[in-house]
Amino acid sequence: MTTVIVVFALIVGAYLVAVLEAWTTTGRLSFASPLLSGIALLGRESIVPRKSDRIFFEVGPVLLLVSAVLAAAVLPLAPGLIVADLATGALFVNAALAYVMVALVMAGWGPDGAYAMVGGFRFLGQLIGYSMPIVMAIVGVAMRAESLLTTAIVESQAALPNAIYQPAGFVVFSVAAMSVCFLPPFDLPTAPGELAGGTMAEYTGWRLAVVRLARAVLVVTLAAAITVFYLGGWNGPVLPPWAWTAAKTLAVAAVMLVAGRYVPRVREEHMLAWYWKIGIPLALLNILYVGVVLVVGEPSSMSM
Amino acid sequence: MILQTIFIGLFGLAAIWFAVVVFRTYSMVRSALALLFSQAALGAMFLAMEAEFLGVLQIMMMATEMSIMAIFMVMFMMDPGGLGEMDMTHQKRVSQVAGVLGAFAALGVAFLAGWGTPAKSAPGPQAQLRGLGLDLMERSMLIFETAGVTILTAMIAATAVAVATRGATEQKEEGE
Amino acid sequence: MSWLGRLVSRTLARDLSAFFVPGPEVVRARALDPRAAGLDFSPTPRHANVLVVVGQVPESLREAAAVAYAQMPRPRAVLAVGAEDVLPLPVPDVSVGPDQDELVAGVAKLRRRFAEGSFGPTAEPFEPAALRSRTEYTCPMHPEVVQGEPGTCPRCGMDLVPRETAEAGAAENADHEGHVQHEDTDHGAEATESGEGRAGHSRQDIEAEHEGAQHTEGSVEHGGAHGHEGRADHDGGHGGTDHDGEDHALEDHGGMDHGDMEFMSMVEMTEGTPRSSDGLQMEWVEAPFGPLFQGLPGGLSLILTLDGDTVAEAKAASTVAVQSREDPRGPIGEFVERFAELDPLAPVSYRLLAMRAVESATGVKPADEVTLARVGALERERAVSHLNWMAGFGYLIGYSWLAKRAEVLQLALLRTGNEGTARISTEVRRLVRRLERTPLLRRKLDGVGVVPDLDGASGPVARADGRSIDARVGEDAYRSLGFEPVVVEGGDALARLRVRLAETERSLQLVEKVGGASASGAVPENASAGRGEATLETPRGAATLAVTLESGEVVVVELHTPSTGHIELIGPVTEQRELGDALTGVASLDLSPWEVTR
Repeated sequence: MTTVIVVFALIVGAYLVAVLEAWTTTGRLSFASPLLSGIALLGRESIVPRKSDRIFFEVGPVLLLVSAVLAAAVLPLAPGLIVADLATGALFVNAALAYVMVALVMAGWGPDGAYAMVGGFRFLGQLIGYSMPIVMAIVGVAMRAESLLTTAIVESQAALPNAIYQPAGFVVFSVAAMSVCFLPPFDLPTAPGELAGGTMAEYTGWRLAVVRLARAVLVVTLAAAITVFYLGGWNGPVLPPWAWTAAKTLAVAAVMLVAGRYVPRVREEHMLAWYWKIGIPLALLNILYVGVVLVVGEPSSMSM
Repeated sequence: MILQTIFIGLFGLAAIWFAVVVFRTYSMVRSALALLFSQAALGAMFLAMEAEFLGVLQIMMMATEMSIMAIFMVMFMMDPGGLGEMDMTHQKRVSQVAGVLGAFAALGVAFLAGWGTPAKSAPGPQAQLRGLGLDLMERSMLIFETAGVTILTAMIAATAVAVATRGATEQKEEGE
Repeated sequence: MSWLGRLVSRTLARDLSAFFVPGPEVVRARALDPRAAGLDFSPTPRHANVLVVVGQVPESLREAAAVAYAQMPRPRAVLAVGAEDVLPLPVPDVSVGPDQDELVAGVAKLRRRFAEGSFGPTAEPFEPAALRSRTEYTCPMHPEVVQGEPGTCPRCGMDLVPRETAEAGAAENADHEGHVQHEDTDHGAEATESGEGRAGHSRQDIEAEHEGAQHTEGSVEHGGAHGHEGRADHDGGHGGTDHDGEDHALEDHGGMDHGDMEFMSMVEMTEGTPRSSDGLQMEWVEAPFGPLFQGLPGGLSLILTLDGDTVAEAKAASTVAVQSREDPRGPIGEFVERFAELDPLAPVSYRLLAMRAVESATGVKPADEVTLARVGALERERAVSHLNWMAGFGYLIGYSWLAKRAEVLQLALLRTGNEGTARISTEVRRLVRRLERTPLLRRKLDGVGVVPDLDGASGPVARADGRSIDARVGEDAYRSLGFEPVVVEGGDALARLRVRLAETERSLQLVEKVGGASASGAVPENASAGRGEATLETPRGAATLAVTLESGEVVVVELHTPSTGHIELIGPVTEQRELGDALTGVASLDLSPWEVTR
C-alpha cells in the first residue's frame, strides 16, 4: 500500500514538474499540457538510429527512470510513508543517483551520434565535479541526526531545519542536486544551443516520452531529497505531514526550474573548478562546523 | 533463508555472466559497463547477505569508478575510442594459465582456510553500521587514514606529472 | 477513424514544434513570430514535426534541409513561408507568404490537417538521394583497409567490421580506379566520420562519406598492395601470425591462428593517427555544426573535429554564399532590389549600399534630408540586427531570459514606427543594466573567442578589440549628429557583447535624433555608364561595393563584406577550445553566411 501511495505521489509530482517546466519555457500555464503532449508523443514515430548500440539506446532512459525511483524509495513523505526505511538510507540515495550518470552515458553512447556522445561524456565530467560535494554535504546532515536513516534525519530537524542549522551544506547540496538532474545552468549534457538536445536528441516518439518522464521524476526526487535533508521534511504546523512534504518539494522544484532561466549555462571548466575549489572545502568546513556544534552544543542564537 | 540463498545465487550468476560479457563484447564502453554491472551484482549479493552498508557502498562506488574507467579507456586507447569494434581478449595462452591457477588458488583458500563456525544470525543493519563506525574510528583508524592520505598523494602526484608534461611540450613547441 | 486515433491526431495538431530553415535568426529578421502563431521551437529535427522553410533558400541549403526532413519522425509536414521552390524537399503541405498574419493562418491550416489525421505514421517514406547508402567493410585498427565484402584485415588479422557509406556515382568510381597509394592520414578522418558524422544535420557529412566511397574503390582494387605494405611495416608485431601474402585481402582466413597474436603495442597501433595538444594520440571525431545547426546562423557550415570535447580543427564555409545564389546584375532598378535581398539579416544596409554605389557611379548626390533619413534607417537596422544577434547568442549560451527578452525587443523595434522608439530605447537601457548584473555571465564569456591577430576584422569585432574602426566616422551626416564610435577593450566574447549593447543604445539615440525624416531617395534611372564605389558600415562591419554601369545596366560588381573576413577567424577562435567555448566564440563574431563572397 505504501509503495502504491509513493509511486502515485511520484507520478503526480512528475506531472506537476512537467507543468512547471512547460510554463517556464513557453510561458503558458496549462494543466492539461503534459498529458496531451504525452499522447502526441505516443502518436509519433519512434525512430531507432541506423547504427545504434541498441541495448544502450533502449536501456539508458529506463535506467534513468529506475535510478530516480529507487532514490525516491528511501525518502519519507510522512511518518511511516516510506517504501524502504534503510539503515543506510542517506547513502542509498547517493548510490541510486550515481546511476543517473551511467544512464546518461549509455543514452549518449547508444545512438552513435556525435552530439549525444559528447553530451554523455560531458555529464561524466559533471559527475566528477558534483559527486564529492554531494556526499560530503550528506555527511553533515547524517552527523546531526547521528543516523543514516532518512526518517531519523527528518526527526532531527523538528526544532530547526538543516537549511538554517548548516546553511553551507544546504547551498552545496542544492547546487549539486541541480547538477544531478542536469537542469539549467548545469544542462551541459542536453544543452539545446550547443548540442541540439545532446543525449536526448536522438530519442523520438514514446521513447522520448520515457526520457521526459524519467527526467521529471528525477527532478521530483532531488527536490524531495532537499526537502528531507535540509528543509525538515514533513515537519510543520497546522497542515498534515504529507502536505508539508508535498508543498516543500514542489516549491523546491519550482525554484530549481526557474533559477536556470536567469543565468547562462556554466562552463565545464568553471564548474569543475568551483566544485573542487569552493564546494569541497565548503562541505568539509560544514562537517567540521557541525562536529564542533554537536560537541559544544547548539549556540543559543541558533535555536532562535 | 531459502529465498536469501536463491537471491545470492542469482546475483552471483549475474555477476559471473556480466564478467564473461566483459571479454565477449567488441566495444570498449560495453566492456566497461559490463564490468560495472558485474560489480553491482556483487553489491546486490552483499545486500542479499544482509551486509547493507557494504552492498550500498559497492553499488555506489562502482558506478563512478567504472564510468571513469570507461572514459579513460575511450580517451587513451588507440583506435576507435571504442567506436569501432575491437577484440577484448589478448595474450590468450597466458591468461588461460593465469585464470586456471587463480581459480585453483581461490578454491584452495575457500576450502582450506579455517572460517570458524558461521554466525547464527547477522546483526541488524543499524548495529552493523555502528560496529563499522567504531571499528573505523578506533582499531583501524590508522590504516584507513594512511590509505586515504596515500591515495590522495598519488592523485596529486599523477595530476602534477600530467601538468608538467604538458608544460614541457609547450616549451618544446615554442623552442622549435 | 477510431476515437483513439482522433484523440492522438488532435493532440498532434496541438503540439506543433518547428525546425527552421535557414534558421531562427532569419525568421526574426523577417519580423515573424512563430511562437505567437503557435509554433514551438525545436533545436533538433528529431523533436520537430514541422519543417519551416522561410524565404527562398539556395539549393545547397535545401539539400541539407531534405536530410533534416528525413530525420524527422512521422507524422511530419513542410510549411513554406515565402518560399516558392523547395526541391528536393517534398511539396509543401501548406504554403504562405512571408507575413505574420499569413503565418498564423498557415499554422491554423496545418493544425486542421494534422487533426484530420492527414499525416498518418504510415505516410510514404522520404529518402533523399544523399542518404542512400551501401555497406563496406573496414578494419577497426587500420582504417585504410576497406573492402566490399566481409573478411579479415591483411595487416593484423582482425575481423573486418561493416560500415555504411553513401552511394558514389559511377563516374567517380572510374576516376579513382588508378589510385594505388593512399596516405594513412587521409583515411584517419574518414574512419571516424563513418562512425560519427551521420548524426549531424548537415549535407557536409554526406559529402565526406562520398569521398570515403571513392577511396574505397581504390582499396578494393589494390587490396593486395595494401596487404604487402602492412606486412612489411608490422612484421615484428605479428610474429606468430601466418600471413599469406597474396590472397588475404579478399579471401577468408579460417585457418589463421589468431590466438598466438602478440599483444599489439600502443605505439604501433596509433602510428599515423593525429596527436592532440597534450601529446596523446587519440581518435578524432568529426562533427558537423550546421548549416542547419540552430545555435549558429543558418547557412554557416561548421565542421569541428573533436578531440574529446576539445576542438582540434575547424572547417567553416558558407552554404549560402553570394555566388551560390541569383546574380544581382541587371538594370539599375532591379539591381538595387535584388541587392537588398542579398542578406536577409541586413536588407536595409545592402539596399543603401547598392544605392550609394549606383549614385557614386552616376554622380547623383542625394539631398541632405534623404541622407539623414537613411542614417535613421541604417541605425534602426543596426539596433534590430544587434538585438537579433543577442537573441541567438542568449539561446546558444543557455541564457533563456536574454534570448526571450532580446527577441521581444527586436520584434517590437521592427514593427514600430518612430513613435515607439523612445520606449524601446528605455527597455534596451534596462536590458543593458540587467546584463551587467547577471551572475555568471562575465565568467561565461571572459576570455572566450580571443583572436591573436585581428587585422582583417571590422565592425563590432574590431571595436571590441580597442580599435576605433568605423566607416561612419568619415560621414558628414554622422558628424553633424555628433557621432562617436563605441570602442571597448578586451577582444573576447564579453567585449563583443558590450560593444553591441552600447551600439544598440547609441543607434536608438541616433534614430531618435533623426526623428521623422522618412524620404529614402529614388533610384537614379537615367544613368548610362560609369564606375562607382561606396563603403557602408553595416551592422557587422564595413562593406564595400564597386559597380560598373553600361547603358543603364550594372555589368560588373565587386563586393567586400565583413563576414567574408570574419569567417577566417573561426579557426583561431575555436581550435584547442572546449566545444561550448568554441561555439560561443563563433557566435560572438556575429557572422552572416549570406554576405560571404566565396
